[in-house]
Order: sequence, then C-alpha cells, then structure tokens
Amino acid sequence: MGEAQKGLLSVIEKLKGSTEQEVRIVLLGLDNAGKTTLLKTLASEDVNTITPTQGFNIKSVASHGMKLNVWDIGGQRKIRPFWKKYLENTDLLIYVIDSADKKRFEETGLELSELIDEENLKGVPVLIFANKQDLATASPASEIAEGLNLHTYRDREWQIQACSAVSGEGVQDGMNWICNNIVNRKK
Amino acid sequence: MAEDDSEWIIESIVGYLGSPEWVIPVTDFMENKCTVFDDEDENKLSYTDIHQQYKKLVEKLLENYMQEVGINEQQFLDACTSPFAKSKSLQAVFQPVLATDDFQMFRSLMVQKNTELQLQALRVIKEQNGALPECLTDGVDVMTELQQQEMKILEDVLKKSKEEYDEEMSRRLLIEKQMGSTSSSSSDKPNKGDEARSAALTSSKQSNTSKPTLGSSVQPNLLPAVRAPTKSSESSDANRHQAEEQSSSTEAAAEAYLEEAHREAGFSKPYTELSPSQQEQLQQRAAYLRQQRDKLHALKREKQKSRQAAEPEEPSHTPPLEPATNLEISAEEKKKLQKRKHLADKLKEEVVKK
Repeated sequence: MGEAQKGLLSVIEKLKGSTEQEVRIVLLGLDNAGKTTLLKTLASEDVNTITPTQGFNIKSVASHGMKLNVWDIGGQRKIRPFWKKYLENTDLLIYVIDSADKKRFEETGLELSELIDEENLKGVPVLIFANKQDLATASPASEIAEGLNLHTYRDREWQIQACSAVSGEGVQDGMNWICNNIVNRKK
Repeated sequence: MAEDDSEWIIESIVGYLGSPEWVIPVTDFMENKCTVFDDEDENKLSYTDIHQQYKKLVEKLLENYMQEVGINEQQFLDACTSPFAKSKSLQAVFQPVLATDDFQMFRSLMVQKNTELQLQALRVIKEQNGALPECLTDGVDVMTELQQQEMKILEDVLKKSKEEYDEEMSRRLLIEKQMGSTSSSSSDKPNKGDEARSAALTSSKQSNTSKPTLGSSVQPNLLPAVRAPTKSSESSDANRHQAEEQSSSTEAAAEAYLEEAHREAGFSKPYTELSPSQQEQLQQRAAYLRQQRDKLHALKREKQKSRQAAEPEEPSHTPPLEPATNLEISAEEKKKLQKRKHLADKLKEEVVKK
C-alpha cells in the first residue's frame, strides 16, 4: 500500500517524531481481577485506594528504552462490550486473571477466547497474568494455562506469568517478556 | 530546494491553523464537548467517542485544506518535520493536530477548555448578580484546593497576556500617531480597532484606580475575553435579548441540561427516584448549566459578529499572511515581503506547471 493511501491520521502519527519507540498495550480481564492494581504497580503508584473502574485508566511506563502506553479498561460485565473500541493498533494484550476466583474461570476463559478472535488483535502477542498468587487459595499458573487451553494458540506468541500485583512479585518478569517480545517483533 | 518548499508550506499551515476556517470549527467542537471532561484520574468511556469524533473533524479539515492549497500528505509531513517546525512557538500551534493521535494530550486540552468555560461562566454570573448564588459557592460546587490553584494560575496567565496585548497595542498606537496618518487609506480599519482598544485600556486603568460602584457594567478584574462584548450597554442588552430568546425557545434543551446535570452528578438512579433534596440540587445544577451555555453562546455570537464586522473579507485560497501592519516598512520587513513574493511566484509557477 502506498504512502498516500494510508490516510492522514497515519501521517499525524509520524508528526510526533519522538525518538522513543512507543508501544500500545491493552490491559483486560474480568472485574476484580486486579487490572488497575497491576497498572498502578507498574507505574510505582499507591495501590491502597483503588476502586472498581467505571471507565479506563492510562499510564505511560518507560521500560527497556521504550515507552509503554498501558490502557486499563474496566472489566465489569456492562463495560466489556466497550473493550473492542480500544483494540485498534494494539501491540500487545495483557490479560489478568484472579487465580483465586475458581468459580469464574470459565467466564474469564470465554472472554479471553472472544478477544483472541478479534480482528484487531490478530497475531498480537498475549501475556496472561495469573494474579493474586499471594492468596492461599490461588491456583498455580500451569493449571490455569491448561484450563484456558493456551497450548492450542498457534497464531501468536503467548506467555502466562504468575504474579501478585499487590506485592509486585512476578510483575517484572512479565514486563521483561513483553519487552523482549516487542523488540523481536518490531525488528 | 526541498527546504524552501517546506518553509512556505509550513508558513501556510501555521496560517491555516490560525485562520477562522480552522479555529472556529475546532473551538466550537471543544466548547460543545468539553463539559464531561474533568480532572479525575480515571477516564470516562464517553471520552473515547468524543476523541473519535475529533479525529474525524480534524482529518476532514486538514484534507480540505491540503486540497485547496495543493499539497499532498508527504509534503505536509516533510514540512511539519522540518527543523523550522520544531521551534517551541510552533509546537503549541500544532498541539490540536497532534491531539488526534495522542489521547492524553486531547484529554488535557479538553479539561483545560472546560476549566476555562466554567471560569468564564462564573465571572458572567458574578458580573450580573453581583455575587454567586449559594449553590455555586459552597456545598454542591466546592472546589478543591488544587482546582483553585489551577484557576488562579489560569487567571494570572490571562491577565498577563492581556497586559502584554494592551502594551503592544498602545505602543503601536503611539508609533502610528508619530507617523501621522499618511497611510490612512490602508490602515482605516485596524486604526479604529486600536482606538477602541486603547479606549478600553484607559477605561480599565480608570476602573483599576477608582473602584466602580456596583451596577456599573464594567468591573475591574474581569477577563478580557468575557468583557469585550459587554463594553457598551447596547451590546449587553443584545446579549440579554439573545439569552432570553434562547431560553424561551428551547424547552427541549432544558430537559437536556437537566439530564446533563444528572449525569454529571453521577446519580445512577433515574431522576424521578431521587430524594427531593437531590432533585433540587439537580435543578440548581441544571439551571446553572443552562445559564452558563446561554451566556457563552450569546457572548460568542456577539464576538463573532464584531469580528466579522471588523475584518474585511479575504480571499481564502491565498496562504494567510500576518495581518498587514500599517507601520512604515523597515528594511527587515521589506526583505520579508520580498521573500514572500518570491514564494508566491514560486507557488504560481508550480501551479502553472501542473
């Protein structure tokens, strides 16, 4: 496709001309999975005053010489239909699961598989955070991966990472995977 | 050669971004849509739709412009990424364009616009009532300390810019007087404007020194943007007229305002299920919003009218130049003019070639 046909907005995109590589990441998952807590942990902010998200939050995090723009969209059932408005031009999907909420494993699996089928997320790498590992009742990441049939994903890179957004444990490992993956992809 | 090209293109783009064809639709859009934008950390879902609409608007405007001037996207991009365009002063001009691709920037522009409008509305209400109604001073509408600080900064900035503007105007007036009116035919209109402005300047100076009594239509600490159209009692009468007209003819709008107030207040229950006191609060808020809109619209119409009256029609296809100064042309300006002529020639040449 020629330069002229790509549309004006792609031109404007280049206008910013920043030297930093920008990466758009969308952070999704059921309500109470810990998306906003994870976002705040990434941005090194206080995680004690978080309330259920009615809209969306955005934070920009610098990592490995890249600027990660992370979009955290509310996960309540009535907001989920809005998710697909935020998927365009996404470089990476982070999907957060409450590892202790066994009753909703099926529900979260359905939502994830719907996302995977979205045209805008075609081939987009996905990182799954098996969150809340600090709770005694949390299922291990391997078990969750099996339940989600992750091994059947052939059209994209994927990774599941056990973590606790509250303590920060495992979060950095996930981010390292993201950065390595994006670098490989964009080169 | 390419550099020369991008220089006139960028001059033309900057001119366009300052012209009414761009400024009016973009400002209208922002003023109409900014009310839902607050400075909460969390974004509302509705922001996204508004951002999409904004993208479409800007895309349409710029496409029309590029067609009119006859440049393609590559030239546009080249010009905008040239070193000339990277200067600090030009970056601010490009902000509304960049906001199409940068949600955060768009959001901050909208939040800023909302704050400005609220501030203006508060001033208009204060001006007309002498004081703010109770529902706007405490209880429902208490401002946080942070907001107050922001508003104070905003006020200071506006005050400062008015001062600078007035200074510049009086300086020009002075020079003009010294020059005599040899160029009266060309400077007729700007001259009048200057006189009016300097009159405003002196009147504001007077009112600063001798505090006006309540009831005089001009108060000292008002923003220039708000007070300009209400200078004469005639125009403020017209304002009131328009406002009255509007409020009587827009029954449906009243409901919309109520609904908006309802939404802003964040009550999840339908209006009829709220307690009487909540209903009353909403009514007050709705009345306030209605007042705010009516006044601002009236003011804007007034401003636009006067602007149209003051500005002679200009052919819109020429790249807009800076307003012709009526001062004697200095050597530097002569050079500038020559350069422009050169660019125009070149443009002509290119068009003819095509």
